[in-house]
Amino acid sequence: MSIKPSLKMERETARQVFHAALGVAALALLLLFGREFTTGLLFFIIIGGTFLMNKRLLGEKVPVVQWLEWQFERPDAPLPGWGSACYAAGVLLLLTFLTDANEIAASLVVLGLGDAISTIVGARGRIVLPYNRKKTVEGAAAFFLASLGAWYFVGPAAIPLAAVATVAESLPWLEDNLAIPVACVVFFLVL
Amino acid sequence: MDAITAVALSLDNPVLKAAGSLIANEFFYAALILALVFLGEPRNGKRLKILATLAMVLVLGVAIKQAMAQPRPCAGEIWCPADYSFPSTHALVAFTLMIAFLGGKNYAFYLLFALLVSFSRLNTGVHGFIDVAAALPIAVLGYYAADLAWNAAKMGMQQRPGAGGRKGGGAT
Repeated sequence: MSIKPSLKMERETARQVFHAALGVAALALLLLFGREFTTGLLFFIIIGGTFLMNKRLLGEKVPVVQWLEWQFERPDAPLPGWGSACYAAGVLLLLTFLTDANEIAASLVVLGLGDAISTIVGARGRIVLPYNRKKTVEGAAAFFLASLGAWYFVGPAAIPLAAVATVAESLPWLEDNLAIPVACVVFFLVL
Repeated sequence: MDAITAVALSLDNPVLKAAGSLIANEFFYAALILALVFLGEPRNGKRLKILATLAMVLVLGVAIKQAMAQPRPCAGEIWCPADYSFPSTHALVAFTLMIAFLGGKNYAFYLLFALLVSFSRLNTGVHGFIDVAAALPIAVLGYYAADLAWNAAKMGMQQRPGAGGRKGGGAT
């Protein structure tokens, strides 16, 4: 049974709102409790999450996880909870590789806000990217503009950061939730 | 020093210390990892994939260590390893092994093993918690990259003329 396009769009919007809310939650934890606390909490959440993920892979019923999967996971996800696991791993990558709280916060804005808004706008876009048929120019532009919210934390460096992250997000074959944090880490450590 | 590292470092249990010393020995640890791969996975193809992934993430981990060049928390002590601290390559290997067994009935064992290895690196004072925590996303990233490369290589071999495979054909 296929999902109606309107329902699919609603689920994708709900997924992206949840995505953005997680980014805001991670940002709030970072600003309120600091890098070490947030890193510790997320580390153990991922460990517990993979344990539940394994239960689902073995066919066991985990009601809360199944509800989250239905509400927020893409139907074509390779594993149950794959998107959430990659997102959490991406945030942990930012928290461990970057030491400056402003750089981490700016990257969380890009990952949480940029990616969510670009997916919502991109799904309604018309001009397809020449190197990635699954993404649109409108989505990439929305990602870039939303990522400029990082200006609040890192000032003008938000412009090249948004540009680098936009390129990473638009690449085919790569999981956005991992590609964007890697791009942010490389940007702040190398450039 | 962060709270988790401080707590792990303060536990002075002789059994944990002995386990930590064994894990710190690279030859013992490599043999243990090999044994865990061969005992946990009966299929030769999957064993090869796990070993190739472990080799790849290890190279990635060592490269990151060199690039980040962060001194160990024990730097200056005579017993302290000479290389850099971030990330913990012991934890990286253990987390990669854990991810490789995701979906298997033995997953809980590999998860506990990874946590034990991580704890032992803190308990022996050679790493801080951030070093160990960084190993987890690198393992996810490394396994994901290795999976993409493995699938691409498999497809390439199936499409090669005379390879006996078919485009889009099922796995053997």
